[in-house]
Amino acid sequence: MQNKIPTSKRARGAVVGKAIFKIGVAQSKGVVKRAFMSKKRKEESQKETHEEIAKVIIESLGTLKGISVKIAQQVALGLPFLPKEYLDEISKSFNSIPPINRALIRKIIKQELGAYPQEVYESFDTEAFGAASLGQVHLATLLSEKFAVKVQYPGIAKSIDSDMAVLKFALTRFAKGGNVDHLIEEVQARLHEEVDYEIEADNTEYFYKNLKHDLIVIPEIERQYSTTKVLTSSFLEGRSFKEFLDSNPSQEERNHYAQLIFDSFFIGLYHIQMIHADPNPGNFIFMENKKLGVIDFGCVKKLDDDFLTSFSKLHVSLMDKLPDEEITKQYAELRMIDDDTPKKMLEFYQEVIKPLDRIYIEIFNEDFYDFKENSDFSERGFNIIMEVQKKSITAVHNMNEEYIFVDRTLLGYYAMFEKMEACIDTRFAQRLVRY
Amino acid sequence: MKVSQSAKERTKIKILESAVELMTIKGYKNASLREIAKEAGVSNPTIYNYFPSKEKILYFYIEQKLIETSQILQNIEDFNTYTLREQLQTLIETQLEFYLEDREFVTQIMQMAFTPSMGTMELIYEAKEKFMEMVSEMLEIAIEAEEISEPPFKEYMPQLFWDYNIAVVAYWIKDDSEMFENTTQFIDNSMGVVEALLHSNILQKANDLGLFMFKTHMLSGLQKFSTKQSGFSKIKRKLGEVLNAK
Ligand SMILES: Nc1ncnc2c1ncn2[C@@H]1O[C@H](COP(=O)(O)OP(=O)(O)O)[C@@H](O)[C@H]1O
Repeated sequence: MQNKIPTSKRARGAVVGKAIFKIGVAQSKGVVKRAFMSKKRKEESQKETHEEIAKVIIESLGTLKGISVKIAQQVALGLPFLPKEYLDEISKSFNSIPPINRALIRKIIKQELGAYPQEVYESFDTEAFGAASLGQVHLATLLSEKFAVKVQYPGIAKSIDSDMAVLKFALTRFAKGGNVDHLIEEVQARLHEEVDYEIEADNTEYFYKNLKHDLIVIPEIERQYSTTKVLTSSFLEGRSFKEFLDSNPSQEERNHYAQLIFDSFFIGLYHIQMIHADPNPGNFIFMENKKLGVIDFGCVKKLDDDFLTSFSKLHVSLMDKLPDEEITKQYAELRMIDDDTPKKMLEFYQEVIKPLDRIYIEIFNEDFYDFKENSDFSERGFNIIMEVQKKSITAVHNMNEEYIFVDRTLLGYYAMFEKMEACIDTRFAQRLVRY
Repeated sequence: MKVSQSAKERTKIKILESAVELMTIKGYKNASLREIAKEAGVSNPTIYNYFPSKEKILYFYIEQKLIETSQILQNIEDFNTYTLREQLQTLIETQLEFYLEDREFVTQIMQMAFTPSMGTMELIYEAKEKFMEMVSEMLEIAIEAEEISEPPFKEYMPQLFWDYNIAVVAYWIKDDSEMFENTTQFIDNSMGVVEALLHSNILQKANDLGLFMFKTHMLSGLQKFSTKQSGFSKIKRKLGEVLNAK
């Protein structure tokens, strides 16, 4: 029974209700206990409470499974102020979609594409070769060419709203009166987009047509063989991130691929104004002839001119080490610092934001950045984020969402480069930032 | 002889199709054999020859869909590499796919089946032979291939699975979710239970929670569907023995 995803309204309602009830208990226990505690113990207890709440949330998401993986990704990207305990618990729920067996695959393909898999495709491998967060990926051929067919487990889309109800309840409590509604709405809207493989197909085609780089390969979508729940794209053959690292690649190879990943991000940002916002090693395929395959455009972010202009201006100012007062002004323009007296605004910058942008800008201080020498980069980054979170929670919901997205994604890439022990050349990116 | 056989078959199917259409429009009760004959373009004596009563048409419908289902399964190239669960699940799903084309008609059958006075349930049970045969064969093969060990009530398994099948159809009739996604999940989830039951030695050992679930939920649930038919009382007796033995 552990594969059960209750979706009938009553069943889901019951599970959601149970979770909300449990959260209430976990919180009040913490509050009662804390009333009698020393300050130090208080902090620990708060952490315990968070852990407990996170567990309850995940437990209920676990029963509702469907969407929890995507929620985890989205929450991590969209709600950066969330305590680590939450993110840890959420990410534990990875890969919780039940496998789609052959009986079910037949049904889904027939329903979505009008005929059984063996009739639709020239050949169709009934054993999945890849696990997707909401389903699985099968190898198929059409006109002797290989294709990856991503198939979604049924009933995911409709489980989003009730799952988010649980999360919203929990986060509202955590944010202590801070308003998380718009963030929840944003995450929810993104989730609805993400479960719709047609949107992913659009995004993939956009990258395919626009991102021009000799060594970057983006799959081609077969529209006639794709629906909201089935996505057929050309199969990119190569090694996974892990296989690549396990093969003990030379320093040159490491640098080469890290560089491609890094550059592709900035090409996306500045040339086509859309970034692949899911910095997961699984989305890169290390192909032959030094080529890099990029897959999974389910999570992308469009960026407009206004944002790019202020983002560049800010980064140039940071790189050029302009005075804090000037930087503060720019953050205010990005709506990341509330209007207040200049003194208060400067204080907020120095206390909350500066530690963060120090770490982001560190990469650009020189022409090269060696992640082998700075192997603690992402840990430092994470700790700083944690520190900042402790200081201020109420301010974060003002954060410019695009800005968070871009920096979060970069941080994700840097964590990969660290594992790759690569050294990257930042000159191309710097040129783009400076226009 | 063979040619005339298949001509006969064809006429029978033609009558069936006309009946399904007419009953979908007018309702089972309001469609007379006479009208059905007219619609199918056969004479009155002919139709009585094929179907002495309207109920026989229902019986034939269920049987016919099972024959078509079985043909589909036979055409699945690697069907013999499917696990028992996959085979059973494909059986249920494929049959449901045929029912989908005649959903309104099937709804009528089911409604009648659940109206105690109509006695249709018995009728549906008469149509189950083909189904039980298929399930039996899948089970035998799985046992022989040592995919599962021989369950203690092997001879009742096809019957139980038929009951389950009726439960699935009943669920589907009530399902108003988009593309009947709820039914898809219901089948996938409940087949998980069926699979667990078949694979574990719950049935042999009969001493853990699984059997409790099986006993309290499945049996009481299924009893509703089984009426006076089947070897249910026997199964229960057997189960009782197992339970008491522990
Ligand atoms: N076009 C493709 N070529 C090769 N492998 C693919 C392709 N699409 C998906 N895969 C494999 O399937 C896995 C899951 O696909 P992905 O699109 O990342 O799923 P998700 O929906 O979780 O984002 C990938 O990690 C990869 O191994």
